[in-house]
Amino acid sequence: MDMFLTIFIKSVWCGIAALGFGVLFNTPPRSLLAIWFGGFSAGFVKYGTMTLFPEMGIIMSSFLAALIVGFTSIPMAHWRHVPPVIFSIPSVIPLVPGIYAYRAMLGLMQLTRAGNEKFGEVAQSTVYNAVTTFFVVMVLALGVVLPMYLLRKESVKKIRWGNW
Amino acid sequence: MKEPAAPQAKITIPIHGLGNFMLETGVALIRAGASTKRIRITLRRISDAYAYHSDIHIEPRSLSLSLRRSDNPEVFNGTRIATHPVINFKMISGISRMSWSIVEKPWPEEEMWKELNRLKDLPDYPRLLILFVVGLAGAAFCFAYGGGPLEMTITFVATFCGLWAKQELLKMNFNPYLVTYFSATTAGLIVILFSLANNNLTLEHAVTTSCLFLTPGVPLINSISDLMDGEILNGIERGINAVMHSMAIALGLSTLVFLFNLIA
Repeated sequence: MDMFLTIFIKSVWCGIAALGFGVLFNTPPRSLLAIWFGGFSAGFVKYGTMTLFPEMGIIMSSFLAALIVGFTSIPMAHWRHVPPVIFSIPSVIPLVPGIYAYRAMLGLMQLTRAGNEKFGEVAQSTVYNAVTTFFVVMVLALGVVLPMYLLRKESVKKIRWGNW
Repeated sequence: MKEPAAPQAKITIPIHGLGNFMLETGVALIRAGASTKRIRITLRRISDAYAYHSDIHIEPRSLSLSLRRSDNPEVFNGTRIATHPVINFKMISGISRMSWSIVEKPWPEEEMWKELNRLKDLPDYPRLLILFVVGLAGAAFCFAYGGGPLEMTITFVATFCGLWAKQELLKMNFNPYLVTYFSATTAGLIVILFSLANNNLTLEHAVTTSCLFLTPGVPLINSISDLMDGEILNGIERGINAVMHSMAIALGLSTLVFLFNLIA
């Protein structure tokens, strides 16, 4: 129970982070609630899968979360009459792996000072953090844009429910 | 691309009027942070509504347009340069709605200009509200990454100050990458100053999350989107732009790490 409560609370805060980006990007006020929901869903899926299926890892969990956001942004766009990117971009930004990026950067700086003994260890963790950051950021972007390609439509207005 | 058959539009507007309007709309979309495909389909939607055929060349900082119609020997050619980008989703959403409305029932020329100017004049959110909500977003990031209440408060203050610095530097027309660098340094510095006052503080969560408001999410996602659409050059430009901003953030934090000797 505690585990689900933690996931839920983290997701609520992810929604707040998404809302912040919605305001920063000057999103129409009518879309802000949907953006909060997008951020919440993204957090819920990411932290839920990372907790329940730890073997999936952060990259697959982030991809799944971004994909869910990409798909939910389509009905949201219908509902609020705005393009889907207006929901999806602020919603996935809370998933950006800041800690990994920071550790990768610290690692790169450490490499310049590490002696021969520690060099391998530092290089290993730096490459791991940098590659994780790169792949998470890539899958976030891909997850957001992929649904529109899968539905093979140029605009959400052309999507007719039940006629895929 | 199939050319639209000769005039079906109930309202006809002069080719120069439509051409200039489409250039202005396209440039507004470029500045607001729309992807290349979105700009192209929006402009084509408008030209089709008036039964004109359009050829559009979109670059990250400029737009060229050629308009013609089978029953008219006149041709419109024009180019417009976009000024520095300011992400504005109200503009993207407003232009999208306008274009769909034009498809349903073509508007007279003056109506279109009136709507475009209205969208340009739409006010942003109040500055204090933006600072507060983005600060709260920073605190939220911090919590999601495992920070406690004290770190969240510090991240809130750091994000607030970092964004304030960014807004001031943008007003002074600094280079955008320098703006990102100094904003990241400001936000990180606030966290470090707090940590100097309190030795028990774990820096990592607060430092990393205080700079996340600078994440170049829009150019990054537009870059992937452009690459997927075959707009390779635009995709590469946007991708490199995103990487440059990310490097500016990393460099800002590196400066602090070096100055305060934070490497373990």
